[in-house]
Amino acid sequence: MRRLRILLLAMALGAAMPVLPALAHHGWAWTEEELFELTGTVKSVFVGNPHATLDLEVEGVVWRVELAPPGPTVASGFTEETVKPGDEVVALGNRSLDPNEKRMKAVRVTVGGKAYDIYPTRVPAN
Amino acid sequence: METLLGSIEQLALIKALKTSFFAYPVVNALHILAVGGLVTSVILMDLRVIGVIRSIDEQSLMRLLRRVALGGFGLAVLTGALMFAVRATDYAGMPLFWIKLGLIGVAGLNFLAFSLLRAEGMRRILAGVSIVLWPTVLLVGRFLGFVL
Ligand code: HEM
Repeated sequence: MRRLRILLLAMALGAAMPVLPALAHHGWAWTEEELFELTGTVKSVFVGNPHATLDLEVEGVVWRVELAPPGPTVASGFTEETVKPGDEVVALGNRSLDPNEKRMKAVRVTVGGKAYDIYPTRVPAN
Repeated sequence: METLLGSIEQLALIKALKTSFFAYPVVNALHILAVGGLVTSVILMDLRVIGVIRSIDEQSLMRLLRRVALGGFGLAVLTGALMFAVRATDYAGMPLFWIKLGLIGVAGLNFLAFSLLRAEGMRRILAGVSIVLWPTVLLVGRFLGFVL
């Protein structure tokens, strides 16, 4: 009887877990292996905790470009003052495995010919 | 609303937290500590009410754990609000954030009902609801960081 109760409780807990899509944006497990380049104009920029992000507009579609936490992002030279809305930016990195998701994680961001290596060890030829 | 959220983000304390190397992870860790204490004590109290735990008398267990749970909840709200403030506009635009707050609200009402009702059968049912709701809030909270 007691075991049964515990079992029922465990089952209730399992059933309560909402079936959420696998949206794992920490690390690189959610991205494609190969590098991907995206050119767009800045919609908004956030350099802060828990991680920095850049929203780029590409042919009318807004992409979310993830950078690193603020420490490494600022260490690369990239700050919130580096870009302003309307600037053209080239983001090199890995895009989401889900082709419908307009999201990538950048290893390098290039603004007006200047490159910011957000994840230096992941930039080829570095 | 937009301007209110925007001005929260501009507060000196929040701007410092935004780019801090130490403070933000500490606030984040305190949120996790608070949530851990809250959810653990809630589960233990619920199991006692349901009757799975019998080795401790209900009164002593409840007296101790209710304090831990309330303290944990208070700290979770405080630290959660600080993290929210760093990116207020973005969190406010996320349905998942409102789902989390909504679930906290439902769990709070459930607690209120539990405190008011005396019938044993009813108390057990509400404890059963609680033991499902709080861990669900935890799960949704963890997912927030992956969707932002
Ligand atoms: C008013 C109350 C609360 C607010 C405003 C709040 C807000 C937040 C925010 C803004 C985050 C950061 C998300 C991110 O990483 O981007 C967070 C994380 C989290 N919250 Fe809350 N929260 C509250 C209460 C709670 C409660 C009661 C629970 C659990 C029962 C909870 C569980 C979590 C968890 C597990 C995380 C993930 C922590 C991590 O993995 O770093 N939160 N919360």
